Amino acid sequence: MTFVSLAFKNLLRHKTRSLLTLAGIAASIAVLFSIISFNRGFEKGLSRELERTGIHFMVVPAGCPHEVAALVLHGAVTPQFLDLHIMDKLKNNDNISIASPILVTQMPNPERHRIDLIYGMDMSHIMALKPFWEIKGSIPSGNNEIIIGYEVAKHDNIKIGDIISYSSTGGGTAVSKSFKVAGIINRTGGQDDAFIYMPIKAVQEMLQKPEGATAVGVKVSDVMRMTEVVDELSQSIPGIQIVTMGQVMDSIANLARSAKVLSLSVAVIAILISAVSVMNSILMAIFERTQEIGMMRAIGASRFDTFRIIIKETIVLTASGGIAGIIIANIGATAIEGFVKGFMPYVPSGKLITFEPSLAIACIMFSIVLGVLAGVYPAWKASKITPIEAIKG
Amino acid sequence: MIELKGIEKIYIRGAEHVRALNGIDLSIGQGEFVSITGHSGSGKTTLLHILGCLDKPTKGAMSLSGITINGMPESGLVKIRRQKIGFVFQQFYLIPGLSVLENVALPLLFGRTKKATDEIKSLLKLVGLQDKIDRKPSELSGGEMQRVAIARALINNPEVILADEPTGNLDTENSENIFLLLKSLNSRGITIIMVTHNTDLAGRADRIIRLKDGKIQ
Ligand SMILES: Nc1ncnc2c1ncn2[C@@H]1O[C@H](COP(=O)(O)OP(=O)(O)OP(=O)(O)O)[C@@H](O)[C@H]1O
Ligand SMILES: [Mg+2]
Repeated sequence: MTFVSLAFKNLLRHKTRSLLTLAGIAASIAVLFSIISFNRGFEKGLSRELERTGIHFMVVPAGCPHEVAALVLHGAVTPQFLDLHIMDKLKNNDNISIASPILVTQMPNPERHRIDLIYGMDMSHIMALKPFWEIKGSIPSGNNEIIIGYEVAKHDNIKIGDIISYSSTGGGTAVSKSFKVAGIINRTGGQDDAFIYMPIKAVQEMLQKPEGATAVGVKVSDVMRMTEVVDELSQSIPGIQIVTMGQVMDSIANLARSAKVLSLSVAVIAILISAVSVMNSILMAIFERTQEIGMMRAIGASRFDTFRIIIKETIVLTASGGIAGIIIANIGATAIEGFVKGFMPYVPSGKLITFEPSLAIACIMFSIVLGVLAGVYPAWKASKITPIEAIKG
Repeated sequence: MIELKGIEKIYIRGAEHVRALNGIDLSIGQGEFVSITGHSGSGKTTLLHILGCLDKPTKGAMSLSGITINGMPESGLVKIRRQKIGFVFQQFYLIPGLSVLENVALPLLFGRTKKATDEIKSLLKLVGLQDKIDRKPSELSGGEMQRVAIARALINNPEVILADEPTGNLDTENSENIFLLLKSLNSRGITIIMVTHNTDLAGRADRIIRLKDGKIQ
């Protein structure tokens, strides 16, 4: 027999109590593990998404940088339009290899009595603007074809080849147009799933703004000269703002930070509560076993031995809780991911939570530390039990 | 083997001072079977606790197989208890979650010593429990539980066994058997000191020590 097996057997003497305490630890470690996994996945997903974007910066009307970030990553309806002459200046700049206008707006869908979110883009730049997309069907080749986001397709049960009509009164007179669905984008898990992607010419036509754009995505031919290009453009074109992908990333990271802090504080509180319940449950056990502990002192246990017996019990309890929590977190990873995504201002596409063994080990270590912390006071109390006060003869 | 000189024990309970032992001079030889009797509150348990190095006397000197006990730090007393003394209690104090074998082996955990299972089994055979090795204490009779406790007291080959009313919770037949077991251990050279209210059993010891108001009569 070892101290650990003795601890196991002692815990098994009160199965329900030990199990409930263990469940508390398991739940809080599961929350902690999931949140950290999600946060890591979030950051990785974000940089992955930005790295794959073939765009170096966005030219937008001067305004709020958060709005810009939202626009760049998933499209947002902004009231301002870029000046018509900007496109010419961008196209004539030798250092710019791609200048792709984007026009985000809303349009009524009369057949479905709804207003749809429309993302107008140059379909030939689709791989540069949305490199992580997987498209079923084809990329629109003409001005009367569209591709649609996963959620839109699922919600309205739209199939490739279906016809969708939109009408717009944007320019004063009503314009209607029918589009054939050329492709459906596979689920990204992000906001891209909720948009209708139209060739920008068609959107401009319907809004009666021939050169209208809410933003222009720019790819420079030489990345080393990007700062130079940005400075030059900012000085020569008034009323615009240039947002680099690095700034976008910082901006999103900022938005995500408060969600991260909040979720981590929830986890910390859950952990504190479960640690207190471990301490409580062990203190109860010591109280019930005072005589037994006194007897052990009489038959040769030192103060340190009794301390060890108790601290091992809390460690066995929290470590098994930690292991159980990690198993639970992995079983429920998909559900947890969906749930947490709902709270985030922006989520990168793809599956974010992946099992990281090093994080799992760190969490189990943490639960062991928790066991030590929760166990020190009870164990110290147990070590103070003297044989004579416990044993009356 | 055990020498007590001028042992006094005063318990302080609030403002009240209880003189539980009042000038005990006692010498117990190697291999003796001694019984301690006396009325309730006469100081029997207190004396046994001092003999067992569980409690420190307020005054007086004590030595055990040539080692001076008084003034010894707690860590030294733990070692003495572990190596030289075996305790048997009226309430047995077995651990419910452990089997008979594990209960007997418990002191080995504290001594960080290992013993072959066969050795523990032969000890259980000595106390007549060779068939109940894997039972839990709840599946044993009172007499059997006390046998387990005696086997546990023997595991570290002690020089002396201290028993505080070991038959107090047992019927006549089981009391007799436990007494005979202690007797047989005594015949193997182990010193036995037994507190008892049972005048019949006390009378069958080599020597009776009668306590009254903390003094030997
Ligand atoms: N921890 C203590 N604090 C205060 N007084 C105590 C304590 N332990 C024992 N006493 C007192 O010391 C005296 C001797 O007690 P002790 O337990 O040695 O008696 P005993 O002979 O074993 O009695 P019994 O036959 O009832 O077991 C009693 O008066 C008792 O009340
Ligand atoms: Mg007593």
